[in-house]
Amino acid sequence: MELEQTLAKYFGYTTFRPGQKEVIEAIFEEKDVIALLPTGMGKSLCYQLPGYILQKPVLIVSPLLSLMQDQVEELKRFGEKRVVALNSFLTVSEKRYVLHFLEQYRFIFTSPEMLLQQQVQDKLSQMQLGLIVVDEAHCISQWGFDFRPDYLRIGQWFSQVNRPPVLALSATATNKVVNDIRDTLSLDTPFEFLYNVDRPNIHLGRVVFEDKADKVHWILQHVKETAGPGILYMSSRKRAEQYSEALIQAGIRTAAYHAGYGAEDRQFIQQQFIDGELDWIVATNAFGMGINKPDIRQVIHETMPANVENYMQELGRAGRDGQPALAILLYSDGDEELAKFVVTGDLPTAGHVDRYQELLNQQVHPSQMLKNGELSETAFRVLDYWLQQETMEQVKVRLNHLALEKYRAVDKMYKMTQTKDCIRKQLVGYFGQKLLKKPENCCENCGIHYDEINKVRLKEEKKIEMIPWESRLKQLLLGC
Amino acid sequence: MFHQILLQIFQKLNNERTISAAYHVLRGKRSGQTIQDIGLFQLHNYFGLLPKLPRKTFDEAVSTFLQYSWLIMQESGHYSMKKLGLQRADQTSDFLFDGWHYRGNEHVFFARFSLIVQSLSYQSAGVRTFSPISRDTAIQSWVRTFLVEHNYQDGHIQQRLLEECERVLAVLPLSEANKQLVLYRLSGHSLPGWTWQQLASERKETVLDCQLAFIELLHTLLNEVHQTNDYPLLGEVAEGLRVKALLTDSAQQTAHLYEQGYSIEQIVQIRKLKQSTIEDHLVELAMNEPNFSIGPFVSYEEAEKVWQASKHYQTKKLKTLHEVVEGMSYFQLRLVLAKGEV
Repeated sequence: MELEQTLAKYFGYTTFRPGQKEVIEAIFEEKDVIALLPTGMGKSLCYQLPGYILQKPVLIVSPLLSLMQDQVEELKRFGEKRVVALNSFLTVSEKRYVLHFLEQYRFIFTSPEMLLQQQVQDKLSQMQLGLIVVDEAHCISQWGFDFRPDYLRIGQWFSQVNRPPVLALSATATNKVVNDIRDTLSLDTPFEFLYNVDRPNIHLGRVVFEDKADKVHWILQHVKETAGPGILYMSSRKRAEQYSEALIQAGIRTAAYHAGYGAEDRQFIQQQFIDGELDWIVATNAFGMGINKPDIRQVIHETMPANVENYMQELGRAGRDGQPALAILLYSDGDEELAKFVVTGDLPTAGHVDRYQELLNQQVHPSQMLKNGELSETAFRVLDYWLQQETMEQVKVRLNHLALEKYRAVDKMYKMTQTKDCIRKQLVGYFGQKLLKKPENCCENCGIHYDEINKVRLKEEKKIEMIPWESRLKQLLLGC
Repeated sequence: MFHQILLQIFQKLNNERTISAAYHVLRGKRSGQTIQDIGLFQLHNYFGLLPKLPRKTFDEAVSTFLQYSWLIMQESGHYSMKKLGLQRADQTSDFLFDGWHYRGNEHVFFARFSLIVQSLSYQSAGVRTFSPISRDTAIQSWVRTFLVEHNYQDGHIQQRLLEECERVLAVLPLSEANKQLVLYRLSGHSLPGWTWQQLASERKETVLDCQLAFIELLHTLLNEVHQTNDYPLLGEVAEGLRVKALLTDSAQQTAHLYEQGYSIEQIVQIRKLKQSTIEDHLVELAMNEPNFSIGPFVSYEEAEKVWQASKHYQTKKLKTLHEVVEGMSYFQLRLVLAKGEV
């Protein structure tokens, strides 16, 4: 059967999106594949479709439990029953059941932690898998933002077993990360698909301020005068709340968003934004994962993000509908120092290494540090992993090295705030690609007429009013 | 609202505890001391209202009280209410919390309820996919079973649930604004809920006060649903959430024997425990069980005397009462105090 027919039969689409077909064909040729596709561009189809043609189960390793749950639910909505999430949420008896019937599933989702359990490994090694998928593969790279040590361990497991093709998926990665993925997973001359990172409909603005106070003034003025929907990215929770409050005071429909709010509140804000009840979200980098709003017109960074990958991912949330959109990076003197402070704040230090050993000497489990709030969860994960592999001195050297790498990443981002060259060319070049064509209003350095992109904000947007409880109850249950 | 609640607790604790005792009550601390305070000072309503209350928030409220001269602190950590504070406490109306019987389970009720409403809202709109407001798999599977059992696909359950909700909200003796508040913590298709922040600024109060008003409404609603059998669907959603087993296991066994008619002495022999232990159990029973009568141990006149003395001397200290009310044992005094004034 032609791939297109399978696509229509199981998914109801008539054509592939860029990259999907190339990736799937490579899998059928039994090649390992590294596919870099942006979020919302149909990454998961690259393994879902093969799942229906290969007569063997597809194993998907996914580091984020919530993401895994989303993917399982999505498949179930399409009517797929032979799908299971083998993770720590299962009870002992559920797990026993799932393991017993494992070969009967078409899609098996699991976490790196689970994959390291002996009984899971034993079961998998007796089975014939059709494909192994490593989702969010950039987590494998210790240079990545969310490094997962357990991912390194699965790399070791991969090299032991007689395995089917491996498909490594990620939304963001540089050459360096791609190299890490290839080496760590011991991929065999993989086929690499890298999407075009350039987004020609997003115009790249940049504004430099001498004084921080001017920045505040500029932001308030800009948001008052130009139309959303937009996202304002901030470097801290506190700042997000302050700006949000100021914009609300100015009569702009705004909400703050960060990981400190409860899950319900976060979902309410996302939904309000998608439904058009809010024009601006003032957020930390916690905002964006899984948001699907095609008509975001502006993304403004109040200060530079930690690295170019994050910057591209965040600005890429604008203009998914293909219509013109604007990304503006703001810079004032010393922003890079703040960025450096923030990126290393999450790293374990030499002091943490000593403390870890001290606790071990006292026969206390080192996770006590985490419980005491002495360091973040990510930091503990990194520390715990390396101290089981290497000596204290080696780990200290490694941590130093990590901090330097993070500084270097900030420096590269800093260059984007300073360059006099075409910003688009620089950004695309960072990902090892060549810019083929410059769009109109390309970037700050090539020249932008802001008034050609920004629409004037319509004053007096309808503020949502509360209605009496009886009416709200009817609306909720009956839809009227 | 938070300040009023705190002031009421301080008033009830009657200057006989440290300020931390109030904190433990609100956080629902399960220590012997706190549980005993609940009974002695009749603080059941407030128990465990805010299990995650940060100490900082609590301390800030206390310093406000000090600033307003509502109370003064002693070095021991004890406090004394001042006239202004007592007046203030008397001015506030009583709240309808029932922390003792729900202990945070109101949030389980609401998680189930919001997921049911969200599912039905999307179903009414003909939209099959949405991201569930509750990520908790236990809640999700509970709701799935509930919906399937009620044949939600035939579309009648919406009408029935609407009718029950309208009826129950109409009878609750709470403000329209608070009923509205709870409705805006629900979401549905094209009807996002409001965040605590948004609700607080609309109501011109703090987030904490919004959350307390929300909890009060849920407690009141749950009690209405549990006390009558008039709300079959809501009754199911609330099933198992009212805490019944208030007693420790050992006290439960003593209670069982006592209900069968055994005397204290017989229970001591059967259970091979000290008399004082059995007496502790009976005090616990008196504290928790509304139907437990202290009549077999204390006459009405004796109880009356204890109450009058307690009022007269403004104390619930056993030692003081033992001195001023003649001829009563500590056990009898504790029973009277545990039972509370009739």
